Amino acid sequence: MGGIYAVMSIGLALIFGVMRVVNFAQGDFMMLGMYLTYYLAVAYRLDPLLGALVVVPPFFVLGVLVHRALLVRVTGGGDPQRQMDAQLILTLGLSLIITNATTMVLSPMPRQIRTGYATEAFGLGPLLVNQARAYAFVMAVLLAVVVFVFLTRTDLGKALRAAADEPEAAGYQGIDVRAMHGLAFGIGVALVAAAGGLLATYHPIEPTVGVNFIVLMFVAVVLGGLGSIPGAFVGGLVIGLVQAVTLLVLPLQLQNAGVFIAFLAVLYLRPQGLFGRRLRTV
Amino acid sequence: MLSITGLSVAYGGLHALERVSLEVRAGEFVTIVGPNGAGKTTLLKAISGAVPAAAGRIEYGGRDLGRLAAAARARLGIAHVPEGRKVFPSLTVLENLEMGSYRAEARRRRAEGLDMVYALFPPLRERRGELAGTLSGGQQQMLALGRGLMARPDLLLLDEPSQGLAPRLIEAIFEAIARIREARGLTILLVEQRVVEAVELCDRAYVLETGRIVLEGGRETLLADPRVQRAYLGA
Ligand SMILES: Nc1ncnc2c1ncn2[C@@H]1O[C@H](COP(=O)(O)OP(=O)(O)OP(=O)(O)O)[C@@H](O)[C@H]1O
Ligand SMILES: [Mg+2]
Repeated sequence: MGGIYAVMSIGLALIFGVMRVVNFAQGDFMMLGMYLTYYLAVAYRLDPLLGALVVVPPFFVLGVLVHRALLVRVTGGGDPQRQMDAQLILTLGLSLIITNATTMVLSPMPRQIRTGYATEAFGLGPLLVNQARAYAFVMAVLLAVVVFVFLTRTDLGKALRAAADEPEAAGYQGIDVRAMHGLAFGIGVALVAAAGGLLATYHPIEPTVGVNFIVLMFVAVVLGGLGSIPGAFVGGLVIGLVQAVTLLVLPLQLQNAGVFIAFLAVLYLRPQGLFGRRLRTV
Repeated sequence: MLSITGLSVAYGGLHALERVSLEVRAGEFVTIVGPNGAGKTTLLKAISGAVPAAAGRIEYGGRDLGRLAAAARARLGIAHVPEGRKVFPSLTVLENLEMGSYRAEARRRRAEGLDMVYALFPPLRERRGELAGTLSGGQQQMLALGRGLMARPDLLLLDEPSQGLAPRLIEAIFEAIARIREARGLTILLVEQRVVEAVELCDRAYVLETGRIVLEGGRETLLADPRVQRAYLGA
């Protein structure tokens, strides 16, 4: 679970880090990613682990288009307070529209992908590890590594981080900040959709499934330090771990209680998050 | 190379620049001096495209910059070293310099550019793997200058490179600027509050006050002007 949380949280952190936009629709893009993976599995017998990769390009394009059509209107310049209100209303509205449209078109009935490995387990010493979860975890970590390499080893990735740090100075270097916003949004949406695809290997799919996860994504991102990519990655892993440990001692319905307790503890001890920087001192 | 006519810039209703005209010829070193809030930073931002012009015309290399975005102007060879340095704090020193050579013309000759910047500012070589946010103010200024030079610009805009630095560092920075100019034959437009040093370095200077050019002339003319002596040189 932790690996998937890590990938979805990186998507959210990337969008927030570069654009300073809190995207409440991330959970819904995840849900759409699950559905696309589901239909690929039903129609083409495509394994969801591969389906999760196949959804990356179309969702990247979807993210770029949503940015170009909607988000450019509420980012970059203008009164910051009013921009923030507008962003909030826009992404919340987008979330509602996607959830309800999906319910209308695809019905609220939950669906599930049947894979051979969903009910199999590896024996790891005394532990039993569900195979679907193990494969999904490995894929998730691979995706995170690809993103990390992109951000730290390529000019485009560095430009993305530069645009997040100092948009004005980024422009002076010839970096098109608006294009970087589109890129960040596209990657963020593609990542969360891929995470949805991985989740679909063992988790039921329904139009409202995103809500349960968006809260965890927020916790992971804040836990790691707002906007920090490695922070979001570790935050996601920590949440998965805490959930698993909580499950050992508390009933299933309370598995998120442990997450919130850990969350409060971290924020109490380290208010800037695990990887956050303190306020800049110039 | 750069020709500005009748430029006005407004923030909301407030006029920061009013009908400013100035000229920078290829290879020239021009300085703009003026008190706080005169509009010096605004003028540089209007040239590099960070703020829109309300009226007037900015021509660069015979071409109207019009509504070109900042990134497009940077690609034409205008490098802006902004007030307050604005290095990328969460990128390493090396990554900052790499971003300076983001435009295609500079990217091809990145290694050469790095050698030049490291020769000019040795501390940057030593700390190239560290995050720019951890550098001292003087080193950040070196980095901001180095980043600007990495672009292999034709026109270099410098906004108060001496701001907040100790006198010894200011001297080093000005010395570096003089050396860059000699070595690269750059065209430079410098904004400064340290009038003496800035005017000493330049070929020509303008005095900007409350959004208007009130005086212009060659270095000698300006240094001899009684108004300049009274207002800026404490004579
Ligand atoms: N973003 C902004 N919004 C509103 N007003 C601004 C903005 N930036 C600058 N101003 C105003 O425009 C005028 C010119 O400012 P500018 O920063 O260009 O002056 P400056 O000559 O660079 O000053 P300094 O020497 O302090 O750097 C000032 O009155 C300032 O208050
Ligand atoms: Mg200024």
